[in-house]
Amino acid sequence: MEKTAKIVIVDDNHDLLFTMETFLTRNGFEVQTADDGQKGFDLIKAVHPDLVLLDIMMETTYSGLDVCKAIRSDPGLKGIPIIGISGIGDEMGIQIDKWGDDDYFSVDEFFEKPVDREKLLERIRIRLKKGVIKRGHPNL
Amino acid sequence: MPGSAQISRTLLDLGYRGIIDLLPCYLSIQDPSMNILFANENFRKDFGERVGSPCHLAYKGSDQICEACPVRESFNDKQIHVSEETVQLSDGEVAQLVVYSVPVLDMLGNVEAVMEMSTNINKVKKLQKELTFLGQSIAVLSHDMKNMLEGINGGSYVIEEGLKDGDIALASRGWDIVKRNIGEISNIAQNILYSSKKRDIKCHEVSPAEIVRDVVGLFREKAADMDIRLEYFSNPALPPVNLDSASMRRVLSNLIWNGLEACKQDKFKDSHSVVVRTGFHDRYCCMFEVEDNGIGVDEEKIDKIFEEFYSSKGSDGTGLGLFVADKIVRDHGGRIEVLSSPGKGSTFRVILAIKQPKL
Repeated sequence: MEKTAKIVIVDDNHDLLFTMETFLTRNGFEVQTADDGQKGFDLIKAVHPDLVLLDIMMETTYSGLDVCKAIRSDPGLKGIPIIGISGIGDEMGIQIDKWGDDDYFSVDEFFEKPVDREKLLERIRIRLKKGVIKRGHPNL
Repeated sequence: MPGSAQISRTLLDLGYRGIIDLLPCYLSIQDPSMNILFANENFRKDFGERVGSPCHLAYKGSDQICEACPVRESFNDKQIHVSEETVQLSDGEVAQLVVYSVPVLDMLGNVEAVMEMSTNINKVKKLQKELTFLGQSIAVLSHDMKNMLEGINGGSYVIEEGLKDGDIALASRGWDIVKRNIGEISNIAQNILYSSKKRDIKCHEVSPAEIVRDVVGLFREKAADMDIRLEYFSNPALPPVNLDSASMRRVLSNLIWNGLEACKQDKFKDSHSVVVRTGFHDRYCCMFEVEDNGIGVDEEKIDKIFEEFYSSKGSDGTGLGLFVADKIVRDHGGRIEVLSSPGKGSTFRVILAIKQPKL
């Protein structure tokens, strides 16, 4: 039997946590959630998920960018694909998909809110395909 | 004579010196040693009588020649140069100037002097800063709106899934999410409306206790979701007050919202509360008070919290709530007092005359 993929969602917005958890669980994933950066990183270290869905602009002490940096700096975790989600976009002058591969803050993919769920699901499935954990290839 | 090219008597009497004095800019002429040979009226008014002084001393209060000096460049290459300079006026005000330096040539074509003409662009700079700030603020607003759209989007999905499975509890939870986010968007939209256009205050006699009870009622669910205790107290002896009821409800909504958000941001206390009170401030004034035990505001930020688009809550604040509250209270001839202690919480007190003037 195929192993169920584990996804950790980190977001300080409880509505998003619940709706995204519902969505991913109903699409066959095992989901765990955390509502701030520190709890999120602790959870990621504990469960070593197959993918992380991360709110980039969390206003918690430990921000989404901090979580990203911590994952990328940890030899045991750095290969975990991270999909960033945020309400920010070009209007904030931030183009996350343009961040370099070597950048600690770099996520693998970025979705702007409101998220296109079907598109997100498609990208998660592609990212989770065996061997596709190489970072920085948004068109995979 | 209309249409003639003759110069009028007034202008002739004024002379070139008089015309130069009328120019709405600073004009000075420097010799090769950078000493000022001539200065117009505007210059003298703002920099003092400086003829004979080095220009760097007059404009910048420095006894050193400026590193990048347009006047010196004009002496060197006989060209016109333009630069932006920061100077200090004699009253201490710091001004940004756009400076043009123009060489004055003698009969042999040598630069005898350089004319420096400059315009104070402080107002332009201020406007530029405000526009940049406005742009950033709109970006933050857009970020907030997208978060709420995500809530509506996600909540709708949960409703659909609940209905599909006949799971009414799930559908109902989705509906709560949709309602909450619609409420938040509506709140932002109301604040944008209040902040962007002048709204006439329409006063009539209302019971402050009724306003408090109604507005607190609107926030009960949100507070419960956030695990924050929300309660209110009103002094039954307080008589009806002449107020614009809708505007005052907005003030209280914004203050309660602000209190809840301040609590949400606080990660150190075990429990949080927002307490709303209405009663007498003194014999002549009534008060509405919203007290929270959230993050509080640093002393140096207190003066800024009522500014438009200023938010101490990062992406959780639009920076409109307190600005709008303050604007409405001022329109009522009242004031808001703030007591805040970082890490402990804040109290916002709206003070209004019990007998409001008929507006």
